[in-house]
Amino acid sequence: MQGFDWAVIWYAAPYMLQGAIVTIEISACAMVVATLVGLVFGLLSVSDLKPLRAVIRAYVYFVRGTPTLVQVFLVYFALPKIGFELSAFWSGVAALAFNSAGFISEIVRGGLQSIDSGQTEAALAIGMTNRQATLFILMPQSLRRITPPLTNELISLVKSSSLLSVISITELTRSAQVIIAQTFTPFELYAALAVYYLVIISVLAWFSEYVEKRLA
Amino acid sequence: MTDLPLLRVTGLSKIFGDVPVLDRVTLTVQTGEIVMIVGPSGAGKSTLLRCINRIETPSEGTVMIGKKNMAGEERNGNLVPDGPIATARKRRHVGMVFQRFNLFGHLSALDNVAIGPRRVLGVAKSEARARAERELARVKMSAHAAKKPSQLSGGQQQRVAIARAMAMQPTLMLFDEPTSALDPELVGEVLEVIRSLAVEGMTMLVVTHEMQFAREVGTRILFMDHGRVIEDTTPEQFFTNPAQARAREFLKRTLRAEG
Repeated sequence: MQGFDWAVIWYAAPYMLQGAIVTIEISACAMVVATLVGLVFGLLSVSDLKPLRAVIRAYVYFVRGTPTLVQVFLVYFALPKIGFELSAFWSGVAALAFNSAGFISEIVRGGLQSIDSGQTEAALAIGMTNRQATLFILMPQSLRRITPPLTNELISLVKSSSLLSVISITELTRSAQVIIAQTFTPFELYAALAVYYLVIISVLAWFSEYVEKRLA
Repeated sequence: MTDLPLLRVTGLSKIFGDVPVLDRVTLTVQTGEIVMIVGPSGAGKSTLLRCINRIETPSEGTVMIGKKNMAGEERNGNLVPDGPIATARKRRHVGMVFQRFNLFGHLSALDNVAIGPRRVLGVAKSEARARAERELARVKMSAHAAKKPSQLSGGQQQRVAIARAMAMQPTLMLFDEPTSALDPELVGEVLEVIRSLAVEGMTMLVVTHEMQFAREVGTRILFMDHGRVIEDTTPEQFFTNPAQARAREFLKRTLRAEG
């Protein structure tokens, strides 16, 4: 390839690796929070608790209906106003988790509802409560069905983390942009950036395949 | 014990939209009775069973099992409706067997039977297991205890489903067309199990299209049509000389089909 400046990629590597670590840290924290919150919300949205169900529906409606970038700004500027003084890092985690938990709760709800309702009836008929039926009968069977869409969602979370560059978190994307501003080599560095993301997401995808096989 | 009936159903209705699927059914069943419920499809037979254990919430009417009102607690002459946990508690001792077996797909045959005693009754793990083994032996499924439902034939699955219900030590068993989803050659083994429970004195309500079986095993026949019980009599009387024209018509059709 003509005029491809390999040297700049080596020059940028230490910065970008540092950025990659931040991206991984933020994404990992956000994944944990989003999965836990999404799981709880998903379970609640098949429960008997009608008011909670309505709140969750409204939340999902909002998350689905607004761009992630807008949510990032909203969380970043709204949290201090309601008394949460978080660092940029944790604001980023909060923003990503806020977005992803909505989608994950829908994935969990779909997984639970995909199990034949006859099994729920059979569980109720032996005297289980709705909660027991969900926990002991529906959950274990839906885990395997949930894993592939959950992986998709977590991958999309990692990609969305690049949006956090706008709230001055020096994650992977921003670290590349900083070097680009110095060296004026956007093509080389954006290409390198893509490769960095590919590697991170490949590891994630590989891990999820492993989990899926274990659950099979 | 005085002769307090085991089951007392009064004015039980279920209305879907504005169609009464079950229309003011009143029925009393004594301990040890084997009640066969027959009638054309859409007569409300399944809905009757499902309203008795409140898998379906009745639109009106009451269901008493022994002294317990399945809908709530009587306080100063007023009925205070049960919450979901109280309802679940009252369901424990009413066993139900479904047309489509509905075994728990992720559990072995043994665990399908043990999970009720374990999780609902809080019996110790080893005791729940032992109880499940006894119930599987009773339905002659011990050899398949470790298999998942997907590895079992329909007849085998239904026998496990019967064991699952019996492991809760029910006072009343409800069978909702237990052989309708089975290949013809598998019907016999399931009917045999139900017959053996009948011989042991289990009180049961069986919705069935197996007329020969109903006649031989039942102590009483309910004929339902359009959501109502229109004939309630002995098998002998029902099969030789039904009082109602609709019952005669029904018998003529089904017996011809079986013939």
